[in-house]
Amino acid sequence: MVDLLKRLLRTPQGATGLILITLVFIVVAFGSWLAPRDPEAMSILARYKGPSMTFLLGTDQYGRDILSRLLIGARATVITAVVATLAGTLAGALIGTVSAYLGGRADEMIMRTIDAIMSIPNLLFALLIVNLLGSGSVNALVAVAVAFAPGMARITRSVALSIRKQDYVSAAIARGESSSYIILREMLPNVIAPIIVETTIRISFAVMLFATLSFLGLGAQPPATEWGLMISEARQYMHISAGILIWPSLAIAIVAVGFNLLGDGLRDALNPRTGG
Amino acid sequence: MSKPAQNSVLQIRNYSLDYLTVNGVFHALRNIDLEIAAGEILGLVGESGSGKTSLAWSIMRYLPDNAREVGGAIRLRGEDLAAKSPAEVGRMRGKQISMVFQDPGTSLNPTLSLGTQLTEALRRHRGLTKRQAWGEGEAMLARVGLKNPTQMMQRMPHEASGGEKQRVVIATAFACNPQCIIFDEPTTALDVITSRQILDLFLDLQAETGVASLYISHDLALLSRTAKRVAVMRRGEIVEQGTIDDIFRAPRQDYTRELLSAVPQPANRLVETRPSYQAKPLMEVENVSVHYGRKPFLSALTGRAFKRFTGNRAISLTVQPGEILGIVGESGSGKSTLAKAMTGLNPFEGRMTFAGRTIAGLADMDRSYRKDVQLIFQHPDASLNPRQKIHEILARPLKLYGAGDGGSLSHRIGDLLEQVRLPRTHADRYPHQLSGGEKQRVAIARAFASKPKLVICDEITSALDVSVQASIVQLLLELHRKHGTAFLFITHDLNLVRQIAHRIAVMYRGDLVEVVPSDEIASPDRADYTRQLIAAVPALAGTSF
Repeated sequence: MVDLLKRLLRTPQGATGLILITLVFIVVAFGSWLAPRDPEAMSILARYKGPSMTFLLGTDQYGRDILSRLLIGARATVITAVVATLAGTLAGALIGTVSAYLGGRADEMIMRTIDAIMSIPNLLFALLIVNLLGSGSVNALVAVAVAFAPGMARITRSVALSIRKQDYVSAAIARGESSSYIILREMLPNVIAPIIVETTIRISFAVMLFATLSFLGLGAQPPATEWGLMISEARQYMHISAGILIWPSLAIAIVAVGFNLLGDGLRDALNPRTGG
Repeated sequence: MSKPAQNSVLQIRNYSLDYLTVNGVFHALRNIDLEIAAGEILGLVGESGSGKTSLAWSIMRYLPDNAREVGGAIRLRGEDLAAKSPAEVGRMRGKQISMVFQDPGTSLNPTLSLGTQLTEALRRHRGLTKRQAWGEGEAMLARVGLKNPTQMMQRMPHEASGGEKQRVVIATAFACNPQCIIFDEPTTALDVITSRQILDLFLDLQAETGVASLYISHDLALLSRTAKRVAVMRRGEIVEQGTIDDIFRAPRQDYTRELLSAVPQPANRLVETRPSYQAKPLMEVENVSVHYGRKPFLSALTGRAFKRFTGNRAISLTVQPGEILGIVGESGSGKSTLAKAMTGLNPFEGRMTFAGRTIAGLADMDRSYRKDVQLIFQHPDASLNPRQKIHEILARPLKLYGAGDGGSLSHRIGDLLEQVRLPRTHADRYPHQLSGGEKQRVAIARAFASKPKLVICDEITSALDVSVQASIVQLLLELHRKHGTAFLFITHDLNLVRQIAHRIAVMYRGDLVEVVPSDEIASPDRADYTRQLIAAVPALAGTSF
């Protein structure tokens, strides 16, 4: 683990990504303590203010402190993205490994179904699910997880196919091991590395997808401090004060870039062939 | 060492090479002294990791970024190669020094025709036009014994066999009449008979052109029949060098002696047990055929014809209780396919009878059959799960088959490790923390955990060095004596199998050619193919055939 961290820090992407994501998680964990003001305290007199000493990033259309709202909103935004991605990854990894293990006709049926689902764009698919389930944070989470699973299944299957041909899997079959043992203990641990990389990169997509859903009014509902929702609300007032729109957008961009860089760094660090 | 320098083509003096790694400096080569005269073949022998290939790359001036040349010099006809600029090195490679690699399958570019790859060196170094070079290339291919050079020039690498490809690579190496050629295990990736032909070709061309050759190999028997002088390498140092006679008849160093004694010699039988051929066979294989390939789902709709690939064609053989049956054949002859069919990894047609029970398909292979028939694979790296510790790997068969004779699980795992002469503490390690030989011992321990009646060994020594191979074979024979286990020993190493097998089955392209007692395998009334095979295998110089 220490070794992995060392290798991660050796690449510029890995180091930058790690620093950004550490900062993001500090905000996620301690945001409510760090926030200088009550995020929901409105003030008629202090609307559309630019950055000043009292309001570091200015105020929004109701005179609420943007910095405080961002710090507290980090938890809702980032955690839901991470949880949704993890759920989607886990489901996808299982489907992919099972499909690769079974092979033959079963594999073909599973993968063709996945193909059919993947032909629907992620956002459209998530919209469809939210429409079926009704809008709300939890439903949005489920929607993103379901939308991500097919892609992960496909990536996992391609890795698992090569693992399936390894002799230790043959040895387990020849020994008479049960299918569940072979899938869970012999194959899954060996497909994990590329999945970790893919998951990290996908978290940034999830953050953006959530923001989009909230922007369309299908995710978090006001007065939540979710970043996508903040952007959505700010849209009408952007001509009066651009700051309301820019700050949450910037926050989303930082998280997305951070996870992307971390994923790139992990890809190099987890690959034994690069890195001495 | 004090030979006159005017005759020597390649001269390496006190050469040392280090690699800078994360864990510090690794001394790849230390104080190497070598000299090759024109027309001479110097054999370089050593086990994996001894620095043979590093030396080859140093001569070719193709070193990785983390390599540091610490001292000494490499001279080609008196010119210091280390002092050359990259452009000069580029002009030198292929023209003055060339190299033949181990695997022609990967050393040729799959997207260029053989002719393009061959004529590239001619056009670059001899300034020929495309047409001239093409004509010259055809002449070269004729010279390396390819039957239809004109057609061969047009072919892509995948349209040629391994032997043909290696001939093209050799033709390329000789194309510009270089002064020195490095051969890095040029026959290791080829089949026995093909590799004999390639070796003969090499010796002819060598005698004809008088090029100075550095022949790298791990095969002492082969070197003893090709080279005039041999240098033995170990851990980056040259342990001993001298003429073939000196090294093979009177080795001075212990390491050389150890290497020589580890080379399998058919005359030296290692097995004294005699199975009874009157008893009922333990395993009877009757008309077993294996076909590969699945009819594509949609081909029924499109009406496309579908052809299956045959892995085994109606194989019938028997294994007696306590017998070691060797199976030999080239790659693709269906040896492993048969092993897989017998362990339920491949569907098969036909019938097997094991200890009186009929096995007609995968469904008949229940837990007790799997317990009695165990399989050991070629590469221990691939057959041990890299994410599991040794104790987890060894605990599985114990848990599955419950071969319990008291004692806790960890105690029995320790016993298993001791049985294959590994320390009990290895249970806490991961496979990558063990050496290749130790990993193969773990795989053997896993197979013997269930006290099987028949163990199928699929090329289990071919990924290992000679000395490790010898100790693994000894271990197997010890287990054979102790438990009376029958073995199906699949290998392409005829010398080895003649030492240990009671009977030998010869396979060729999915067919069983014949099954003969191993002391009669060299007799002249064997099948044609068997005789070719025996004739192609080099035996150590100075031993009887």
